Amino acid sequence: MSRKTVTMIVLLSMLMGLFALPVASQEEERWVGSDDLPVNPLECPEGFGPEATEEPAEGAAEAEMMEYDGGQPVDPPDLAGQEITLIDIPKLIGIGYFNATTAGMQEAAEELGNVNVSTDGPTEGDIVQQIEFIERYITQGVDGILFAANDPVAISPVLRDALAQGIHVVGYDANSEPDAREWFVNQAEFNGIAKAMMDSMVQEIGPDGSFAIVTSSFTAPNQMRWISEMWAYAQKCYPDLNWLETVESQEDQNLAFQQTQALINRYGEELDGVFGMSSVAFPGAADAVQQAALCSPDDADEDVAAPSEEEAIAIVGLSTPNQMKPFVENGCVESVVLWNPVDLGYAAVYVMRAVVDGELQPGDTEVEAGRLGTLQVVNGSEILLGPPFVYTEDNIFDFDF
Amino acid sequence: MAAVEQQPLQTETFGQRLRAWLTRLVISQEGILLIITIIAMLVLSTQSDRFLTARNLTREAVLLFEVAMMALPMTYIIITGGIDLSVGSIFGMSAIILGFAWQDAGLPLELAIAIGILSGMIAGFVNGLFIVRVGVPPLIMTLATLALYRGMALGISQARSARGFPDWFYEVGRGDFLGLPWQIWILGAAILISAIVLARTSFGRGLYAIGNNELGARFAGIPVDRYKLIIYTFSGFMSGVAAWIFTSRVSTTRSDMGTGIELDVIAAVVLGGTDIFGGSGTIAGTVIGLILIQVLKSGLLLSGVKGDATTVMVGAVLILAILINNLVGRFRS
Amino acid sequence: MTATTQSASTTAAAGSGVRARLSGFFNQDVVLALLVVTLTIFVWLVNPRFLAQRNVLDMLNNSSYIAVAAIGMTMVIISGNIDISVGSLIGLLATISGQIAIGAQDGGYPLWIAFIVPLFVGALIEAFIGFLVAYLRIPSIVVSLGMFSILKGALILWTNGVWIYNLPDDFMLAQQAPLGVPVPIYFMVILTILAALWMKYSATGRAIYAVGGNREAARLSGISEKATIMKVFIINGVMVGIASILFATQFNAIQSTVPPGLELFIITASVVGGVSILGGTGTVIGSTLGSILLHVIRFGMQFVDVSQYWLQAVQGILILVTVMVDLLRRRRQSYSGRG
Repeated sequence: MSRKTVTMIVLLSMLMGLFALPVASQEEERWVGSDDLPVNPLECPEGFGPEATEEPAEGAAEAEMMEYDGGQPVDPPDLAGQEITLIDIPKLIGIGYFNATTAGMQEAAEELGNVNVSTDGPTEGDIVQQIEFIERYITQGVDGILFAANDPVAISPVLRDALAQGIHVVGYDANSEPDAREWFVNQAEFNGIAKAMMDSMVQEIGPDGSFAIVTSSFTAPNQMRWISEMWAYAQKCYPDLNWLETVESQEDQNLAFQQTQALINRYGEELDGVFGMSSVAFPGAADAVQQAALCSPDDADEDVAAPSEEEAIAIVGLSTPNQMKPFVENGCVESVVLWNPVDLGYAAVYVMRAVVDGELQPGDTEVEAGRLGTLQVVNGSEILLGPPFVYTEDNIFDFDF
Repeated sequence: MAAVEQQPLQTETFGQRLRAWLTRLVISQEGILLIITIIAMLVLSTQSDRFLTARNLTREAVLLFEVAMMALPMTYIIITGGIDLSVGSIFGMSAIILGFAWQDAGLPLELAIAIGILSGMIAGFVNGLFIVRVGVPPLIMTLATLALYRGMALGISQARSARGFPDWFYEVGRGDFLGLPWQIWILGAAILISAIVLARTSFGRGLYAIGNNELGARFAGIPVDRYKLIIYTFSGFMSGVAAWIFTSRVSTTRSDMGTGIELDVIAAVVLGGTDIFGGSGTIAGTVIGLILIQVLKSGLLLSGVKGDATTVMVGAVLILAILINNLVGRFRS
Repeated sequence: MTATTQSASTTAAAGSGVRARLSGFFNQDVVLALLVVTLTIFVWLVNPRFLAQRNVLDMLNNSSYIAVAAIGMTMVIISGNIDISVGSLIGLLATISGQIAIGAQDGGYPLWIAFIVPLFVGALIEAFIGFLVAYLRIPSIVVSLGMFSILKGALILWTNGVWIYNLPDDFMLAQQAPLGVPVPIYFMVILTILAALWMKYSATGRAIYAVGGNREAARLSGISEKATIMKVFIINGVMVGIASILFATQFNAIQSTVPPGLELFIITASVVGGVSILGGTGTVIGSTLGSILLHVIRFGMQFVDVSQYWLQAVQGILILVTVMVDLLRRRRQSYSGRG
């Protein structure tokens, strides 16, 4: 044998040795996709979890007492009542969710009459590109920046730059570090989403079912937060639930489809439910379940073959309504959890206007937001949109985004 | 340019020489690209008075830094007829190793930085080793390590991020030195050194020889294998350095950082006139290519063009610039 | 003494003959098929559900559109070129197909137009790429990198990323399963066989190998390099068109953006299938087996308990191992050829 062949075989076996890596790390728990931050599960629904005797409003009371922890722009020009130009830089453009927030912003701008807002951003949810966009809009000179961060820490330096230049900064959907922006419009608290998701799932599969999660990516901060809260809430309220696995699907419908198929095929009857954690993962997962003819039998209509109760798989997830309509219509999906992203964009613009006009100042506890009425300030410098919304067959067709 | 200087025609007047030199410059690859870049800059500066400002230009240079650092070794690699698709993954992996060596393993941050860069070099070296010793074609090898290194980053970090570095760590990513960001000094030095090495050393000439005719280069006694190992390791090293400084700029590490950056790097290099089949190309061309893309992205945005339309424009300019270059190339020969 | 030596040498000769015949048999296609089988058996031993009928069909079904796109890619690579724009193109054509289907539902024209137009648009765009490559001599990697950006940006400009839903039921071609086998698998098998025969026996097919392998020789034997490259890209466009229809009709709602990293996945399928990136060698059967292998890896990883965090790294290693096995085989073959 030549020297090259020997080298090759040696390298090949070294490669095989690399397999030891993942096998060695098998010690960890099966569930993956959470972060290390503290969790704060909400109260269980009646009849589940520990008796609700422990002081129920503890978390909420603490939050209200928190002091304002946002940042402030340096010498911003006084633009109260004047026309302002805003730029909205979401995580990425070209997906239904951020189209909806954009629509809400335009609606608010039109109502207010003295706000110009336009949306621009990367075509992938990439923090490097998002920073570039923000840098350039700072150079262009806008009065305010609205953002939804791809990474809470990485985005903060550039936002602090913006504040230092006297530009107002308000976040929505995904937060930065608190001192890098003035306010953050929180669509729904993470534990609220987690509760809505778990409750919807338990309603379909019962408190002792088994489920898996299809997340967008393990590194997406919002996703990690939700999964952590879901884990905490499930442990508190539904200790008999069996958490099988969490898999990634990127922002790729097709990958979500395949991953769900693999889950279905691997766990067979053991699998009772699947969570689709993003507006791309959810329809992909739903398609996989539907095409395997495993939608819940009770309300499946005639074009979906009815499986036995044992085999059926429930799908619950986070998504905008439009892409889920086919599945809600044919009964494959019963509930879609989400806040209203149009309202979220709408509120963000109102908050920005109030900040510029000096109507919303550190220490305030509420803010007026047009047709949404009065919104509460929580966690120091966050404005809460409200509880999450559950879309069902009865109301999903009233929404178009 | 080097060729022009080597054969001065003493009988000509200064004016004639200048004209001859200018003609050659103008119809050279870099010259054409430079002209396109200048035209783009002039046109875009009429659209926004904030475009040609010192602030904007330094900010853009900082934004350009990571891609530019990787484009320099990529120029070497493409000149030899190879390619390195794994640079973005090496970037992500060494950032993660830096962060976790410090945060989880509890090493001093200085050592963690060194380990991060070293891991980039090792990753590049492994690429080179398989390409040279085993004969895996560069595209296939780096396509596989594109997945492997990114996967290592995810596996090592368990999808968590390292953050909360001490203040001095942020100096190199956000601080200034003599009034200019550190990135500009580092990049300037890197460009200068890699340009000189390519144009003036036997190593540089060896790279061209490998790209033109690898077998011939071997027969001519050029240590082809060693040169290739060096450039792939260099590529890993530069990705590692870029990862360190990027981490310092954004103050956190994530395993998905730099996803897809390899295509930006390659686009800049081929836009700069480096022949994808090897044998020709210059650092000057690559630098102008980088600048042109950055000028378009910045200038178009400041003129009110949205990101998606800019993506289209950058793609069109890439094709057009090479097309013009080819047409002039026919005239040239 | 002499007798022993003689018999020994005869045995050696016979042995080497067998080895030569064996190594001739072990071409890349067979090696790949063996790898697929080995991996399948391995995963099956860990988890018998892996070989359940539904899982096998799902794996093949998901391989199909990648395999069809990889057929086109393989031809492009064999001709000594590459196409990075396929990912963007599949996103664009799938969206076009969906939009037309929506229009057809409102009446005015029949639904089959939604299946035909993407093929033509794909061929047209690829013909443009081919023209720039063949006649204006711009390297294909430059053209296709440029087109990659152009198509991606244009798609978002056009659709703004709005999902296409409300698709007519008849549009869901890929969800049909005559005889229990999903439609995409038929497409994959038939197109692979046709393309393999065509590459082997038609004049153009052989011309593609010639152009990619040795341009000078190709020119001397009277093959028009430019026309061949044009043809390759146009065929690639049609294949991408078919792939995007298989992709689009798989779902009840279509994500009208470019699937991330799809182009690299398709190129990986081709090169894992033994297509030399330098051009001139490779087979479409290999690339189809390559796409199947990639999906067996992807699904198989879910069936054995690999940590989700290490999954991507393992996939990278497996791709590398496949390529190494191929190289090892080639090297041994060239030694036994020499011997």
